[in-house]
Amino acid sequence: MNALTPADLEAIARTPVVDPPEWVRVQLDTGGIAAGAELVYGALAAARTERQLSFALLRAGSVGYSFADPVIEVQDAGMPRVLYGRMNAAVASHLIDEHLLAHRLLDDHIIATRQRGTSLDTAVTHVLVRDTSGEGSRTESLQSAFNAELKRQDLGDRVQVVRALDVGIYEQGAVVQLLPGAVTYANIQEADIALIVRESIAGGRVLENLRWQTPDRQKRIVLRHCGEVDPDSLDDYLRRAAGYQALRRALFEFTPEQVIAEMKTAALRGRGGAGFPTALKWQLTRAQPAPQRYVICNGDEGDPGAFMDRSVLESDPHVVLEGMLIAAYAMGASRGYFYIRAEYPKAVERIERAIGQARERGLLGDNILGRGFAFDAKVRLGAGAFVCGEETALIASIEGRRGSPTPRPPYPSVRGLWGMPTAINNVETLASVPPILRHGGAWFAGHGTPTSRGTKVFAVTGKVRNAQLVEVPMGTTLRQIITDVCGGVADGRELKAVQTGGPSGGVIPVQHLDTPVSYETLQELGSIMGSGGMLVMDKTDSMVDVAKFYLRFCVDESCGKCAPCRIGGYQLLQILERISRGRGSASDVAQIRRICLAMQRASLCGLGQTAPNPVLSTLRYFNDEYKAFIEGGPAYVRKISRTAAPAAKSADEARRVPAAGETASGLLAAKS
Amino acid sequence: MKSAASVPEAEQSTRPVELARHDEAALLELLETLVQRHGYVPREFSDEVSRLVAVKLERLRRIQAKLDSTIRRDVQQHVARWRNEEGNLIMILHAIQNQHGYVPREVAMELSRELGVKLARIYEVITFYHYFKLQPPGAHNVTVCNGTACYLKGSTDLLNALRTELGVAEGQTTADRQIHLDTVRCIGCCGMAPAVVIDGKTLGHVKVADVSGHLVALKQSNQEARP
Ligand SMILES: Cc1cc2nc3c(=O)[nH]c(=O)nc-3n(C[C@H](O)[C@H](O)[C@H](O)COP(=O)(O)O)c2cc1C
Ligand code: SF4
Ligand code: FES
Repeated sequence: MNALTPADLEAIARTPVVDPPEWVRVQLDTGGIAAGAELVYGALAAARTERQLSFALLRAGSVGYSFADPVIEVQDAGMPRVLYGRMNAAVASHLIDEHLLAHRLLDDHIIATRQRGTSLDTAVTHVLVRDTSGEGSRTESLQSAFNAELKRQDLGDRVQVVRALDVGIYEQGAVVQLLPGAVTYANIQEADIALIVRESIAGGRVLENLRWQTPDRQKRIVLRHCGEVDPDSLDDYLRRAAGYQALRRALFEFTPEQVIAEMKTAALRGRGGAGFPTALKWQLTRAQPAPQRYVICNGDEGDPGAFMDRSVLESDPHVVLEGMLIAAYAMGASRGYFYIRAEYPKAVERIERAIGQARERGLLGDNILGRGFAFDAKVRLGAGAFVCGEETALIASIEGRRGSPTPRPPYPSVRGLWGMPTAINNVETLASVPPILRHGGAWFAGHGTPTSRGTKVFAVTGKVRNAQLVEVPMGTTLRQIITDVCGGVADGRELKAVQTGGPSGGVIPVQHLDTPVSYETLQELGSIMGSGGMLVMDKTDSMVDVAKFYLRFCVDESCGKCAPCRIGGYQLLQILERISRGRGSASDVAQIRRICLAMQRASLCGLGQTAPNPVLSTLRYFNDEYKAFIEGGPAYVRKISRTAAPAAKSADEARRVPAAGETASGLLAAKS
Repeated sequence: MKSAASVPEAEQSTRPVELARHDEAALLELLETLVQRHGYVPREFSDEVSRLVAVKLERLRRIQAKLDSTIRRDVQQHVARWRNEEGNLIMILHAIQNQHGYVPREVAMELSRELGVKLARIYEVITFYHYFKLQPPGAHNVTVCNGTACYLKGSTDLLNALRTELGVAEGQTTADRQIHLDTVRCIGCCGMAPAVVIDGKTLGHVKVADVSGHLVALKQSNQEARP
């Protein structure tokens, strides 16, 4: 295939994307596939052949709604575009009949858009309804009430009322969204229904007093094409995502120094954890005289409960590659490596394909876009060692050695891979680069807080109602992320604490939930931003247990090179084990603090230095729990193990996801 | 006296010799009977037996040589793919593990010869990384997600139940090499926590009570596969 020229890119930029009028797009990322997305894709393809339909069947990565996997998106001529979640093969084939043949939206699977409208210029064709209190048991009666009212006002044929799976608004009573305008009303009462039908549906007037005014907390910059663009297609990236336009701009409109200056204006800080200014890292690497420089994308994603980086690599691989190309141009690097966990085969496959496609079209090679810039990228696999996320260990691993950290300085920007200056950037950091170059550093810096600019992607999991990926501007509060975006704690239990930063981070108790997230605020609270794992815990979760979990992880993952981490971590774990068996003694807490301090001060690398964080932060906020174990002894342990077991079981029952087709009857049963 | 006794026996033994020509086990049995009875292999048999043994040995040698040359060829292929790449050892080990499901000792030895790297250094790398396995995997794999979200939702109980049912700890395979139990850290289905992967299929919201059922299903699928 021909190499792309800047003229080609310009032409693509001017050509609007034309999609076929009817399509179904299946989100095929690891999470979706595990939940059955490939079966759904197969069922859609089979139904299409069988019913001789012509809709396009498209593929994408994930939009981030893990709670609703597998997710598909449907566009049918004359119908609002919708996302459907919790699909399976049977529902998919039913959906074809309903949505694409009968032109009716399907009940109980729609995830309403968060881009809520403010005007009703286009006639309302569909009403999404959802009871957002608790598990939504009154959704069905809400639907009937609307249907009855529409009929009474003679609109029954024009408007379809559909039960939604999720509307992105929680504990706000009855919620309706009027499609296609997406004007959304919350907390509506029985009496409002007639009003809504008369005024808004028949009359096209927005009822401001009912309208849900709270804006969507999310701002998608890194994730903006995830779930839309086909991760296996360079063409799709070029057309749909304005792909490689940022690279073109960098190469033709900027000198390398100007790219770095733009990054400085953007004030992007590393998203891998420490928050080091990206522009400065590039500048330091560039300033180092050397025959060869390297750029490495850190895709080792070590936090055992986080999946932001994997999702970006799988859903929009070219944006990370484009970010790497721009980084390489800025610092004068001619070689790049993606260091990706071997446990992420889909991410590896897609990045490798992206690299192959880029090579084929001259976006990698000796003379990129005819600009004389030479760069090539390769993939290296991690092999299940958390410590390899650390920069010097990562370099050792790429060099084919054991991933043992070495003392810094020298920093990798001075002496890195094969002794050459090397910049290591996180996946999300690199994925932020193309939008910055396209829209300008000032635009990016317009989001966030004075010290932490831009947006951050979090993988919110644990005892949260909707586990999902969330991208919010820095400065959004933890409560807004957990309650407004993710629906708060599951099963109506009480929120207790949030863990950020994974094994290197700490817990933040509920009283600090209104803290706006930024590198500094989280650090002040004894945690860290980390790479973006956010674990929600409720009142039934034991903090001693959580601390033990993370500490055990660090002890397992310690490379054993230095004593403070190897021995300190082990001793610490022994003490915690003892305490949680009810065999702790009064002096244990002081001993824990001593060991933690030693580890923080004397460990060679970040793993050992930060391993005490989960322990120290739980001690700081939940000292009572440690005390209860120590003072209560074995009797206390017996007591809590008796009470915890049945509670966990009933929660399990309550959370069981209704299978397709089961939902309606389940809700009915719950009501009667 | 010896020859007197052995002659009629030789006649009796034509059938075992006949059998031994085609069947290794029968050959061994014949040898054993002869040695037991005579304390040595009588001359009447020894020529025939040594001819048989030589044939078998030759065949074994050929199999071994073929195995060696397959290993050599495979290793050479992997090495050729990564020949000009610096720091290629880990990527080659990945390729080997992909092929065999683990890193067999003979392959590691061949790799050491091929790369000119000390075997100890190869093992140093293999043992550092959890991902590389030194034991062959089981016929079936049961993997419990032990990421944070799954942990919070009870993956420890699931793991304990599996340990009890299977009688092995994580990272181990049952004695009949049928089921390998392992843990993994977040498979990205936190929305379905706790998650268990059985032979590549992910199950979500798994309860302790379900564990037995899944194992029974696995064992049944075994029996169907081996009629
Ligand atoms: C033990 C340890 C594990 C780490 N794991 C990761 C990781 O999984 N992903 C990541 O991007 N950074 C990780 N880091 C941070 C990296 O070493 C490095 O700071 C980061 O990749 C730099 O990229 P950034 O500036 O874009 O954040 C880890 C650090 C330590 C000490
Ligand atoms: S702190 Fe721990 S992981 Fe880091 S070098 Fe020392 S022993 Fe290894
Ligand atoms: S923690 Fe188990 S799937 Fe994420």
